[in-house]
Amino acid sequence: MLTLLLYKEYRLATPTITWFFLLFGIMTLLPGYPILMGPFFICFGIFQAFQYAREADDILYSVLLPIRKREVVTSKYLAVLGVQTMALFIIIAMTALRMSVLSTVSVYRRNVLMPANLTFVAFVFLMYAAFNVLFVGGYFRTAYNLGGPFLAFIVAALLIVATGETLHHIPGLAFLDALHGPGLISQAVLLILCLMTYVGMTLLSLKRSWSRFERLDI
Amino acid sequence: MDALRVENLRKSFPGFQLMNVSFAVEQGHVMGLIGRNGAGKTTVLKSLLNLVHPDSGRIEYWGTDISETGVGNLQRIGYAAGTNTYYKKKTLNDIVSVTRRFYSEWNDSAWEKFRRLFALDMSKRPEQLSEGMKVKFNLALALSHGAKILILDEPTSGLDPVSRNDVLEILLTLAHAGTSILFSTHIISDLEKCADDITYLRHGRIVFSGDEQGLTRSYVLAHGHCLSSGQRKLVVGHSLTKEGDAWLIPVPVIPEFPDHRISQPSLEEIMVNMEGDGHADTASV
Repeated sequence: MLTLLLYKEYRLATPTITWFFLLFGIMTLLPGYPILMGPFFICFGIFQAFQYAREADDILYSVLLPIRKREVVTSKYLAVLGVQTMALFIIIAMTALRMSVLSTVSVYRRNVLMPANLTFVAFVFLMYAAFNVLFVGGYFRTAYNLGGPFLAFIVAALLIVATGETLHHIPGLAFLDALHGPGLISQAVLLILCLMTYVGMTLLSLKRSWSRFERLDI
Repeated sequence: MDALRVENLRKSFPGFQLMNVSFAVEQGHVMGLIGRNGAGKTTVLKSLLNLVHPDSGRIEYWGTDISETGVGNLQRIGYAAGTNTYYKKKTLNDIVSVTRRFYSEWNDSAWEKFRRLFALDMSKRPEQLSEGMKVKFNLALALSHGAKILILDEPTSGLDPVSRNDVLEILLTLAHAGTSILFSTHIISDLEKCADDITYLRHGRIVFSGDEQGLTRSYVLAHGHCLSSGQRKLVVGHSLTKEGDAWLIPVPVIPEFPDHRISQPSLEEIMVNMEGDGHADTASV
């Protein structure tokens, strides 16, 4: 049933622009640019899908189907996770490029901003987690209001970008900047922690949205 | 067994209350739900679909409480809401090809029959359809998955008289085949054509629920200008006609109006009189 709902999400409730926004994953290659804005724009593309779905009365259509209400919520989360995962593949591929064949290119070597490395991918997970908790979870308070939850996400996303761009300049945290060497091991630990945060926060958000949506009058 | 039974349904919103709404739809019967805008019809229908959570009361489908019915029962409920359409920018073909996958009893030949009857162009998008065609599309979807009960919110609104007649005939055919139908409407003549029973809602309360003729036989219209203060207390509704004032009164009080011409009201006249100013003290006398 969830596969079917996911099919419904992508066939009926996801506009082309959301897929187009996946290309912002390529922003990972931009030198001298706060590359964490890439995942922010990808989340903005998902926000567009929620707007589109609201205009299409997608929630009403979905709850009238012979399915449980919580499956409507789960399918929305799965659709979000699907887009985030697709974007993540692009981001990881671009990061791998910058960490390997492009690592010696002078524009990247002169880069004073966050480089594309494991720390960056870890922060992408934090960005995604903030989106899933603040925006998707916030949306299911009403299944209608998008503005407030997205504003909350914007604030959190800017804090995440600012933190990511600041930390590696702090003495003792220079390992966050590394593209090779032992610093990568510490980065890998950070990556695993952020991945766990992403999974945990998303599951918590999902669970809370189930109960919120169950109580909603539509 | 009743296909649908509603008992003492209550729901409060700011500025509106649904109070102790009770009615039942028998298997194979057509029930019309009537009342003015804001009377609570849509709240009742949404409660039946679990879209709105009542504060109290009980809703049963085929004897099982709605809270205990699983997805299986939802397969047997068809719903269409007037001109409301989903996914305005997708083609009808896209919408149908997704929707049909959710229903185990989806009937392609039934869908094809209604598609042809309603002349639906599958390459069009809902935003390109007229209001009437939107209604037809919603109806065709609701009618194509073998629903045993149809809940229809204003199913004939926006339809031309011929299409409306087509829809009503389809509803009658389905009812004869055993499908129960509950539909809200403002078009009282639709009820006279196909409803077995009527539930009349006013300000969130049931005025009447039962056999259509039970309502029309309960009241008469008393025509005439002057009312005594005693007569005024007996009047339940009023309207102004070409012939003058018409007073809606219960049948048992007819002897109290010896100087008035008495006539049998239609369903529409009962509703108009009850929903009008409703009281003798605001009449034209």
